[in-house]
Amino acid sequence: MNINLSKDVLLKPLQLINGVVERRQTLPILANVLLEVDQGVLTMTATDLEVEVIAQLGVDSKASGRITLPARKLFDICRSLGDGADISIQVEDEKATLRSGRSRFVLTTLPADDFPDIGEMEDARSFTLKQGELKRLMDQTAFAMAQQDVRYYLNGMLFEMGSEQLRTVATDGHRLAMAEAAVNIGWNDKTQIIVPRKGVNELQRLLNELDKDVKVELGANHIRFTTDGMSFTSKLIDGRFPDYEHVVPKNGDKILIVDKDALKQALVRASILTNEKFRSISVHVKPGRIVIHARNPEQEHAEEEVEVDYNGDEFEIGFNAAYVQDALGAMNELQVQMVFTDPSSSCLLHGVANESSRYVVMPMRI
Amino acid sequence: MNRKIIHIDMDAFFASVEQRDFPELRGKPVIVGGQPNSRGVVAASSYEARQFGIYSAMPCSRAYQNCPHAIFVRPRFQAYKQVSSEIHAIFKEYTDLIEPLSLDEAYLDVTDVESRDGVATLIAKELREKIFKQLQLTASAGISYNKFLAKLGSDQNKPNGQFVIKPGEAEHYLQDLPISRFHGVGKVTEAKMKSFGINTGGDLKQQSLLQLQRVVGNSAEYYYDIARGIDHRQVSNKRIRKSLGSETTFQQDISDTQEMLQQLFKLLDEVLASLSQRELLAYTLTLKVKYADFSQVTRSYTGDTVISLQKTASTLIPTLLNKTDADTKSVRLLGISFSNLLSHKDYSDSQLPLFN
Repeated sequence: MNINLSKDVLLKPLQLINGVVERRQTLPILANVLLEVDQGVLTMTATDLEVEVIAQLGVDSKASGRITLPARKLFDICRSLGDGADISIQVEDEKATLRSGRSRFVLTTLPADDFPDIGEMEDARSFTLKQGELKRLMDQTAFAMAQQDVRYYLNGMLFEMGSEQLRTVATDGHRLAMAEAAVNIGWNDKTQIIVPRKGVNELQRLLNELDKDVKVELGANHIRFTTDGMSFTSKLIDGRFPDYEHVVPKNGDKILIVDKDALKQALVRASILTNEKFRSISVHVKPGRIVIHARNPEQEHAEEEVEVDYNGDEFEIGFNAAYVQDALGAMNELQVQMVFTDPSSSCLLHGVANESSRYVVMPMRI
Repeated sequence: MNRKIIHIDMDAFFASVEQRDFPELRGKPVIVGGQPNSRGVVAASSYEARQFGIYSAMPCSRAYQNCPHAIFVRPRFQAYKQVSSEIHAIFKEYTDLIEPLSLDEAYLDVTDVESRDGVATLIAKELREKIFKQLQLTASAGISYNKFLAKLGSDQNKPNGQFVIKPGEAEHYLQDLPISRFHGVGKVTEAKMKSFGINTGGDLKQQSLLQLQRVVGNSAEYYYDIARGIDHRQVSNKRIRKSLGSETTFQQDISDTQEMLQQLFKLLDEVLASLSQRELLAYTLTLKVKYADFSQVTRSYTGDTVISLQKTASTLIPTLLNKTDADTKSVRLLGISFSNLLSHKDYSDSQLPLFN
């Protein structure tokens, strides 16, 4: 097996693939990338058994063959070669020799037949949308996913497909983020699936030709995203996502409008003097302004006043400042609407003129 | 309203348990700890042994010189733990506000106790009588309106006695008290204070907060308060651990960082398991490295959010190890510990959940 190609075409797909390669692999072969060459097309595959990424590119090779090479080392070698360098990879007797100019590297290989397969897509249905749109849906919600929660179905992102809308939802049980986009999906039923955290994070990284299409295929146990030259497959989390619509407050009658950046900056400053464990702040809402208080265990305290558009009753509510900051950080609008019911019920945040992303934050007891 | 705090301190606890369980030891100088020819130290000594100038933490070899006919016995911690829990059962008959300091010492907040007409000195007396009757062990008690004074009081009429410091009496009581009796003053602080002419509670009270800061730095406020008999610390029955960790000394020094990482991940799994067993979360991870030449460094990281998750912690470990000289020096010991702990319960208590 013999492959010739230039560093410039190899590097980028190799970099994308490397993100999937686990650092602490359970199986040695998972540290490797599978190279398959056939009729002038090189297919590279990496997997951690939960997600799989495949990149394809044209190469100058008449031969066909399959082999796996250490992914990290291959990437590090390519990265450190000069721009425009030509690379040839030759496999012989369980060793791969990579040559470029006056450099020569001999790498160990593992047999391609041992490379694991993430499983077949069965009964796949599909739809297409712009990469930029999908990326926005994920970028605006991913921060709220749980991490290693025992409620395993929270360690991922809900994708909800309706006939004309794609919605993403993430929650760690304390706050929730949801975003939606009009997409011509055309399925009759409302379909919910959960993509694991790692799949979401990798996909966010992989989507970077924002005005190009991405095809989404949904099988019984997998979801696949395919773009020009790249395909990303993730297993699904087998579980039921909580009834999120139920926790989006509907009866909030205390509505205030605030300048996003002013509130964000006030929170950043007040957070300096919060209890570093809880990040708790209290927010005193008054007509025309809110006063944010923070206090740490050393009894130092901070007070921040922010002008708001509000003329209802006064009340005070506690929050983890980080949760509010995260929500503000994910919104694109400059004016934010906050809807409260009472100090022990959740707060709903969204843009004033735009509800394409919404955030729910539960308060803290104060 | 003033609180009513009792500090109970068992008399020569380990040694008394030994004398109780082995009658042949009664009336004799008993030393619980290492053997006389070993490098061990005295864990506890009976009152008969104390007459020979033997005290806790003294090297056993010195104790042997002072009192060659002393009987050295090995500690039986399981037995002491058992007795301690029996003592706690007696405390619980009165209050749930019990803060243990060790196996043989505890604070009790009896402010809301109604038996004995709520008179704390009578409650303390009854507690000590019950302990003696049920367990044949003597205890001393200090009774006062805060923890600091209660602890001082239990020392006053030891053994088998009690002492009360009432509101208004504290300043008088503290006036002539040697500075070494103040809780928190060890040898170093004592020497430092003495070099500034602070020998008694009265001397301490003369100091302004600013002057104290020069002597004891950050602890100035604490000493300023206790010199006036002020101590706001609550008796807390949910005192949680400050840190949790594990370390391992290798049979042979290791110099391969990959192997170090492997050992660290092993330790990590262990410590994470005991964290979750105790339902604790942590904000700080500390790595400890002792090099072959016995010099030692620690490197730690404190997160904004909980870092005691498998994934977070395992990415932190290589980073922390990189900040040591482990790549150039060989290593005899590795350890990791979590601190800045928080119980699952406290965490979920303050942050309200979205889903019930």
